[in-house]
Amino acid sequence: MKKHLSIVIGSGSILCAASLGLMKALKREKIQPDMLVGCSGGSLYAATLALGFDPAAIHEMTVDMYKNDIVEGYTSNLRAAMSGETRFNETSGLVDDKILMERLQTIFAEKTFADTTIPLHIVATDFYTGEEVVLSNGRLVDAARASSAIPMIFPPWKINDQLLVDGAVCNPLPVDVAIKEGSDVIIAIGFELPMRRRMNSYTAVTTHFNSLYMNNILKSTFAFYNAAHHAEIIPILPSFEKQIGGFDHHQLPYIIEQGEKAAEEQIPYLKKLLEN
Amino acid sequence: MEINITKGNVDIIAVSGSIDALTSSELVKTLNDHIHDGHPNVIVDFGKVEFMSSAGLRAILASVKEARAAGGDFRLASPQPGIDKVLKMAGFYNIVKIYPTVEEALASFG
Repeated sequence: MKKHLSIVIGSGSILCAASLGLMKALKREKIQPDMLVGCSGGSLYAATLALGFDPAAIHEMTVDMYKNDIVEGYTSNLRAAMSGETRFNETSGLVDDKILMERLQTIFAEKTFADTTIPLHIVATDFYTGEEVVLSNGRLVDAARASSAIPMIFPPWKINDQLLVDGAVCNPLPVDVAIKEGSDVIIAIGFELPMRRRMNSYTAVTTHFNSLYMNNILKSTFAFYNAAHHAEIIPILPSFEKQIGGFDHHQLPYIIEQGEKAAEEQIPYLKKLLEN
Repeated sequence: MEINITKGNVDIIAVSGSIDALTSSELVKTLNDHIHDGHPNVIVDFGKVEFMSSAGLRAILASVKEARAAGGDFRLASPQPGIDKVLKMAGFYNIVKIYPTVEEALASFG
Protein backbone atom coordinates (compact mmCIF):
# COMPACT_ATOMS: atom_id res chain seq x y z
CA MET A 1 0.00 0.00 0.00
CA LYS A 2 1.25 3.49 -0.89
CA LYS A 3 2.54 5.38 2.12
CA HIS A 4 0.91 8.71 2.94
CA LEU A 5 3.58 11.42 2.86
CA SER A 6 3.20 14.81 4.53
CA ILE A 7 5.45 17.81 4.53
CA VAL A 8 5.37 20.10 7.54
CA ILE A 9 6.93 23.54 7.11
CA GLY A 10 7.61 25.16 10.45
CA SER A 11 7.90 28.79 11.47
CA GLY A 12 11.03 30.72 10.65
CA SER A 13 10.22 33.86 8.70
CA ILE A 14 12.37 34.14 5.55
CA LEU A 15 14.26 30.94 6.46
CA CYS A 16 11.11 29.01 5.52
CA ALA A 17 12.13 29.62 1.90
CA ALA A 18 14.48 26.66 2.49
CA SER A 19 11.36 24.57 1.85
CA LEU A 20 11.79 25.50 -1.84
CA GLY A 21 15.11 23.65 -1.76
CA LEU A 22 13.40 20.66 -0.16
CA MET A 23 10.71 20.67 -2.87
CA LYS A 24 13.41 20.92 -5.55
CA ALA A 25 15.13 17.81 -4.18
CA LEU A 26 11.82 15.92 -3.96
CA LYS A 27 10.76 16.93 -7.47
CA ARG A 28 14.04 15.61 -8.87
CA GLU A 29 13.20 12.23 -7.32
CA LYS A 30 9.57 12.48 -8.47
CA ILE A 31 8.34 12.37 -4.88
CA GLN A 32 5.02 14.14 -4.45
CA PRO A 33 3.55 14.92 -1.01
CA ASP A 34 -0.01 13.91 -0.18
CA MET A 35 -0.48 16.71 2.29
CA LEU A 36 1.10 20.00 3.36
CA VAL A 37 1.05 21.62 6.78
CA GLY A 38 2.36 25.12 7.46
CA CYS A 39 2.90 27.33 10.44
CA SER A 40 3.63 31.07 10.58
CA GLY A 41 6.17 31.92 7.83
CA GLY A 42 5.88 28.27 6.77
CA SER A 43 2.17 28.75 6.06
CA LEU A 44 3.01 30.99 3.07
CA TYR A 45 5.13 28.27 1.50
CA ALA A 46 2.78 25.40 2.36
CA ALA A 47 -0.15 27.32 0.90
CA THR A 48 1.54 28.45 -2.30
CA LEU A 49 2.99 24.96 -2.89
CA ALA A 50 -0.44 23.42 -2.24
CA LEU A 51 -1.93 25.81 -4.81
CA GLY A 52 0.65 24.62 -7.32
CA PHE A 53 2.62 27.89 -7.67
CA ASP A 54 5.89 27.33 -9.47
CA PRO A 55 9.15 27.91 -7.53
CA ALA A 56 9.97 31.11 -9.48
CA ALA A 57 6.65 32.65 -8.46
CA ILE A 58 7.19 31.68 -4.82
CA HIS A 59 10.70 33.13 -4.97
CA GLU A 60 9.25 36.39 -6.27
CA MET A 61 6.58 36.32 -3.54
CA THR A 62 9.32 35.98 -0.91
CA VAL A 63 11.27 38.96 -2.23
CA ASP A 64 8.12 41.05 -2.20
CA MET A 65 6.92 39.87 1.22
CA TYR A 66 10.15 40.35 3.18
CA LYS A 67 10.77 44.03 2.46
CA ASN A 68 11.31 46.04 5.61
CA ASP A 69 8.40 48.41 4.93
CA ILE A 70 6.24 45.58 6.27
CA VAL A 71 7.22 46.62 9.82
CA GLU A 72 7.06 50.36 9.17
CA GLY A 73 6.27 52.39 12.27
CA TYR A 74 7.46 49.73 14.71
CA THR A 75 9.92 51.90 16.66
CA SER A 76 7.70 54.97 17.02
CA ASN A 77 4.67 52.83 17.89
CA LEU A 78 6.70 50.92 20.48
CA ARG A 79 7.73 54.20 22.11
CA ALA A 80 4.14 55.43 22.10
CA ALA A 81 2.82 52.15 23.53
CA MET A 82 5.42 52.05 26.30
CA SER A 83 4.84 55.65 27.34
CA GLY A 84 1.10 55.08 27.44
CA GLU A 85 0.61 57.63 24.69
CA THR A 86 -1.31 55.03 22.67
CA ARG A 87 -3.57 52.42 24.19
CA PHE A 88 -2.66 48.77 23.70
CA ASN A 89 -4.97 45.81 24.10
CA GLU A 90 -5.44 42.26 22.80
CA THR A 91 -6.35 43.43 19.33
CA SER A 92 -3.34 45.73 18.99
CA GLY A 93 -0.03 45.34 17.23
CA LEU A 94 2.97 47.60 17.00
CA VAL A 95 2.74 47.54 13.22
CA ASP A 96 -0.17 48.41 10.99
CA ASP A 97 -1.01 45.25 9.04
CA LYS A 98 -2.07 47.16 5.90
CA ILE A 99 1.06 46.29 3.90
CA LEU A 100 1.08 42.66 5.08
CA MET A 101 -2.57 42.29 4.08
CA GLU A 102 -1.99 43.87 0.68
CA ARG A 103 0.81 41.41 -0.02
CA LEU A 104 -1.17 38.41 1.18
CA GLN A 105 -4.09 39.58 -0.92
CA THR A 106 -1.81 39.79 -3.98
CA ILE A 107 -0.64 36.22 -3.39
CA PHE A 108 -3.90 34.52 -2.50
CA ALA A 109 -6.67 36.84 -3.74
CA GLU A 110 -9.95 35.05 -2.95
CA LYS A 111 -8.51 31.52 -3.09
CA THR A 112 -9.65 29.09 -0.43
CA PHE A 113 -8.44 25.75 0.92
CA ALA A 114 -10.78 24.13 -1.60
CA ASP A 115 -8.63 25.54 -4.45
CA THR A 116 -5.47 23.68 -3.40
CA THR A 117 -4.35 20.69 -5.44
CA ILE A 118 -2.67 19.13 -2.39
CA PRO A 119 -4.62 18.98 0.90
CA LEU A 120 -3.44 21.77 3.20
CA HIS A 121 -3.65 22.63 6.89
CA ILE A 122 -2.44 25.84 8.51
CA VAL A 123 -1.78 26.22 12.21
CA ALA A 124 -2.58 29.26 14.34
CA THR A 125 -2.96 29.82 18.09
CA ASP A 126 -6.06 30.84 20.05
CA PHE A 127 -5.14 34.20 21.61
CA TYR A 128 -7.09 33.60 24.82
CA THR A 129 -6.37 29.92 25.54
CA GLY A 130 -3.04 29.35 23.77
CA GLU A 131 -4.47 26.22 22.16
CA GLU A 132 -3.55 25.07 18.69
CA VAL A 133 -6.13 25.89 16.02
CA VAL A 134 -5.88 23.96 12.76
CA LEU A 135 -7.34 25.85 9.82
CA SER A 136 -8.45 23.63 6.94
CA ASN A 137 -11.12 25.63 5.18
CA GLY A 138 -12.00 29.18 4.31
CA ARG A 139 -9.93 31.90 2.68
CA LEU A 140 -6.18 31.30 2.50
CA VAL A 141 -5.48 34.97 3.03
CA ASP A 142 -7.18 34.76 6.45
CA ALA A 143 -5.40 31.55 7.43
CA ALA A 144 -1.97 32.87 6.42
CA ARG A 145 -2.64 36.21 8.12
CA ALA A 146 -3.68 34.53 11.40
CA SER A 147 -0.80 32.04 11.33
CA SER A 148 1.71 34.89 10.72
CA ALA A 149 0.41 37.29 13.39
CA ILE A 150 3.74 37.67 15.18
CA PRO A 151 2.89 38.47 18.82
CA MET A 152 2.97 42.19 19.67
CA ILE A 153 4.11 43.05 16.14
CA PHE A 154 1.03 42.32 14.05
CA PRO A 155 -2.49 42.50 15.49
CA PRO A 156 -4.16 39.12 16.02
CA TRP A 157 -6.66 38.07 13.34
CA LYS A 158 -10.24 37.04 13.87
CA ILE A 159 -11.68 33.99 12.10
CA ASN A 160 -15.20 32.85 13.01
CA ASP A 161 -15.19 34.86 16.23
CA GLN A 162 -11.94 33.29 17.36
CA LEU A 163 -9.03 35.68 17.93
CA LEU A 164 -5.92 34.03 16.49
CA VAL A 165 -2.19 34.68 16.61
CA ASP A 166 0.97 33.16 15.19
CA GLY A 167 0.97 29.35 15.11
CA ALA A 168 4.52 29.36 16.45
CA VAL A 169 3.18 30.48 19.84
CA CYS A 170 1.78 26.98 20.42
CA ASN A 171 3.64 24.74 17.98
CA PRO A 172 6.42 26.03 15.69
CA LEU A 173 6.72 22.70 13.82
CA PRO A 174 3.24 21.14 13.92
CA VAL A 175 3.94 17.53 13.01
CA ASP A 176 0.99 16.59 15.24
CA VAL A 177 -1.39 17.70 12.47
CA ALA A 178 0.18 15.21 10.04
CA ILE A 179 0.15 12.47 12.71
CA LYS A 180 -3.53 13.10 13.40
CA GLU A 181 -4.33 13.02 9.68
CA GLY A 182 -2.79 9.53 9.50
CA SER A 183 0.46 10.21 7.65
CA ASP A 184 2.90 7.29 7.52
CA VAL A 185 5.92 9.41 6.67
CA ILE A 186 6.35 13.02 7.73
CA ILE A 187 9.06 15.30 6.42
CA ALA A 188 9.41 18.10 8.95
CA ILE A 189 11.45 21.12 7.95
CA GLY A 190 12.08 23.28 10.99
CA PHE A 191 14.09 26.32 11.98
CA GLU A 192 15.50 27.52 15.24
CA LEU A 193 15.30 31.29 15.63
CA PRO A 194 18.75 32.87 15.55
CA MET A 195 20.17 34.32 18.76
CA ARG A 196 20.94 38.03 18.95
CA ARG A 197 24.64 38.78 19.08
CA ARG A 198 24.30 42.34 20.37
CA MET A 199 21.98 43.18 23.26
CA ASN A 200 22.00 46.92 22.82
CA SER A 201 18.33 47.82 23.04
CA TYR A 202 15.03 46.88 24.64
CA THR A 203 13.94 45.36 21.33
CA ALA A 204 17.15 43.33 21.01
CA VAL A 205 16.72 41.82 24.47
CA THR A 206 13.01 41.04 24.00
CA THR A 207 13.77 39.52 20.58
CA HIS A 208 16.43 37.37 22.21
CA PHE A 209 13.98 36.18 24.89
CA ASN A 210 11.45 35.46 22.16
CA SER A 211 14.04 33.26 20.39
CA LEU A 212 14.71 31.40 23.64
CA TYR A 213 11.01 30.73 24.26
CA MET A 214 10.31 29.73 20.66
CA ASN A 215 13.30 27.44 20.35
CA ASN A 216 12.40 25.69 23.58
CA ILE A 217 8.80 25.21 22.44
CA LEU A 218 10.11 23.87 19.12
CA LYS A 219 12.39 21.34 20.82
CA SER A 220 9.92 20.15 23.43
CA THR A 221 7.01 19.68 21.02
CA PHE A 222 9.27 18.00 18.45
CA ALA A 223 10.68 15.66 21.14
CA PHE A 224 7.22 14.66 22.28
CA TYR A 225 5.86 13.96 18.78
CA ASN A 226 8.99 12.00 17.89
CA ALA A 227 8.47 9.71 20.85
CA ALA A 228 4.73 9.42 20.30
CA HIS A 229 4.45 8.84 16.55
CA HIS A 230 4.12 5.23 15.39
CA ALA A 231 5.64 5.79 11.96
CA GLU A 232 8.42 7.99 10.73
CA ILE A 233 9.33 11.64 11.08
CA ILE A 234 12.24 12.76 8.94
CA PRO A 235 13.62 16.01 10.29
CA ILE A 236 15.14 18.46 7.82
CA LEU A 237 17.11 21.00 9.82
CA PRO A 238 19.03 23.26 7.45
CA SER A 239 22.21 24.84 8.81
CA PHE A 240 22.83 28.51 8.22
CA GLU A 241 26.41 29.53 8.87
CA LYS A 242 25.71 33.03 7.59
CA GLN A 243 23.80 35.49 9.75
CA ILE A 244 20.42 36.02 8.07
CA GLY A 245 18.17 38.91 9.00
CA GLY A 246 14.40 38.91 8.55
CA PHE A 247 14.56 41.03 5.41
CA ASP A 248 17.69 39.60 3.80
CA HIS A 249 15.99 38.47 0.62
CA HIS A 250 19.32 38.79 -1.20
CA GLN A 251 20.26 35.65 0.79
CA LEU A 252 17.42 33.65 -0.80
CA PRO A 253 19.65 31.57 -3.11
CA TYR A 254 21.76 30.57 -0.09
CA ILE A 255 18.68 29.77 2.04
CA ILE A 256 17.18 27.61 -0.72
CA GLU A 257 20.52 25.89 -1.32
CA GLN A 258 20.84 25.00 2.38
CA GLY A 259 17.31 23.58 2.32
CA GLU A 260 18.14 21.50 -0.73
CA LYS A 261 21.40 20.28 0.81
CA ALA A 262 19.70 19.24 4.06
CA ALA A 263 16.96 17.47 2.07
CA GLU A 264 19.41 15.62 -0.17
CA GLU A 265 20.97 13.98 2.89
CA GLN A 266 17.59 12.39 3.69
CA ILE A 267 16.57 11.40 0.15
CA PRO A 268 18.15 7.91 0.05
CA TYR A 269 16.37 6.86 3.24
CA LEU A 270 13.11 8.52 2.21
CA LYS A 271 13.15 6.61 -1.07
CA LYS A 272 13.81 3.32 0.72
CA LEU A 273 11.04 4.05 3.18
CA LEU A 274 8.49 4.90 0.49
CA GLU A 275 9.41 1.79 -1.53
CA ASN A 276 9.07 -0.57 1.45
CA MET B 1 23.52 -0.79 9.76
CA GLU B 2 26.32 -2.69 11.48
CA ILE B 3 26.80 -3.36 15.17
CA ASN B 4 30.13 -4.31 16.76
CA ILE B 5 30.61 -5.09 20.44
CA THR B 6 33.96 -4.54 22.19
CA LYS B 7 34.12 -6.18 25.61
CA GLY B 8 35.71 -4.36 28.53
CA ASN B 9 34.94 -3.02 32.00
CA VAL B 10 32.06 -1.35 30.24
CA ASP B 11 31.17 -2.78 26.86
CA ILE B 12 31.29 -0.50 23.87
CA ILE B 13 28.69 -1.06 21.20
CA ALA B 14 29.72 0.64 17.98
CA VAL B 15 26.93 1.29 15.52
CA SER B 16 27.51 2.34 11.93
CA GLY B 17 25.19 3.32 9.09
CA SER B 18 21.58 4.27 9.45
CA ILE B 19 19.29 3.86 12.47
CA ASP B 20 15.81 4.13 11.07
CA ALA B 21 12.48 2.35 10.71
CA LEU B 22 14.15 -0.40 8.66
CA THR B 23 16.96 -1.12 11.11
CA SER B 24 15.88 0.05 14.56
CA SER B 25 14.28 -3.22 15.70
CA GLU B 26 17.57 -5.06 15.11
CA LEU B 27 19.42 -2.46 17.19
CA VAL B 28 16.89 -2.63 20.04
CA LYS B 29 17.11 -6.44 20.07
CA THR B 30 20.92 -6.46 20.13
CA LEU B 31 21.14 -3.79 22.82
CA ASN B 32 18.44 -5.29 25.02
CA ASP B 33 19.84 -8.84 24.70
CA HIS B 34 23.24 -7.48 25.69
CA ILE B 35 21.82 -5.56 28.66
CA HIS B 36 19.95 -8.64 29.91
CA ASP B 37 23.02 -10.79 29.43
CA GLY B 38 24.54 -9.18 32.54
CA HIS B 39 25.81 -5.93 30.98
CA PRO B 40 23.46 -3.19 32.16
CA ASN B 41 26.13 -0.52 31.61
CA VAL B 42 26.71 0.20 27.95
CA ILE B 43 28.36 2.84 25.85
CA VAL B 44 26.98 3.19 22.37
CA ASP B 45 29.55 4.65 20.00
CA PHE B 46 27.73 6.80 17.45
CA GLY B 47 30.90 7.87 15.63
CA LYS B 48 29.87 6.08 12.44
CA VAL B 49 26.14 6.62 12.55
CA GLU B 50 25.27 8.52 9.40
CA PHE B 51 21.54 8.90 9.76
CA MET B 52 18.92 8.66 12.45
CA SER B 53 15.17 9.09 12.10
CA SER B 54 12.38 9.21 14.68
CA ALA B 55 12.30 5.39 14.75
CA GLY B 56 16.00 5.49 15.64
CA LEU B 57 15.35 7.95 18.45
CA ARG B 58 12.59 5.72 19.81
CA ALA B 59 14.95 2.72 19.66
CA ILE B 60 17.57 4.57 21.70
CA LEU B 61 14.94 5.63 24.22
CA ALA B 62 13.72 2.04 24.61
CA SER B 63 17.24 0.77 25.34
CA VAL B 64 17.98 3.63 27.74
CA LYS B 65 14.90 2.61 29.76
CA GLU B 66 15.93 -1.06 29.58
CA ALA B 67 19.47 -0.38 30.84
CA ARG B 68 18.24 1.77 33.73
CA ALA B 69 15.56 -0.77 34.69
CA ALA B 70 18.36 -3.37 34.85
CA GLY B 71 20.29 -1.14 37.28
CA GLY B 72 22.79 0.26 34.77
CA ASP B 73 23.01 3.09 32.31
CA PHE B 74 23.16 3.68 28.58
CA ARG B 75 25.60 6.39 27.58
CA LEU B 76 26.13 7.70 24.11
CA ALA B 77 29.45 8.76 22.61
CA SER B 78 30.85 10.74 19.68
CA PRO B 79 27.74 11.64 17.66
CA GLN B 80 28.57 13.36 14.37
CA PRO B 81 27.30 16.98 13.94
CA GLY B 82 24.20 16.06 11.90
CA ILE B 83 23.14 13.37 14.38
CA ASP B 84 24.04 15.62 17.31
CA LYS B 85 21.64 18.26 15.97
CA VAL B 86 18.80 15.71 15.87
CA LEU B 87 19.64 14.50 19.41
CA LYS B 88 19.57 18.09 20.70
CA MET B 89 16.38 18.92 18.86
CA ALA B 90 14.65 15.83 20.27
CA GLY B 91 15.68 16.67 23.83
CA PHE B 92 18.02 13.69 24.28
CA TYR B 93 20.70 15.80 25.97
CA ASN B 94 18.26 16.31 28.84
CA ILE B 95 17.67 12.63 29.51
CA VAL B 96 20.72 10.71 28.23
CA LYS B 97 24.40 11.22 29.11
CA ILE B 98 26.13 12.07 25.84
CA TYR B 99 29.90 12.52 25.50
CA PRO B 100 32.02 13.90 22.66
CA THR B 101 34.34 10.86 22.73
CA VAL B 102 34.22 7.17 23.72
CA GLU B 103 37.12 7.81 26.16
CA GLU B 104 35.10 10.43 28.01
CA ALA B 105 32.09 8.12 28.12
CA LEU B 106 34.28 5.35 29.54
CA ALA B 107 35.76 7.70 32.16
CA SER B 108 32.25 8.74 33.21
CA PHE B 109 31.59 5.25 34.56
CA GLY B 110 34.58 5.71 36.95
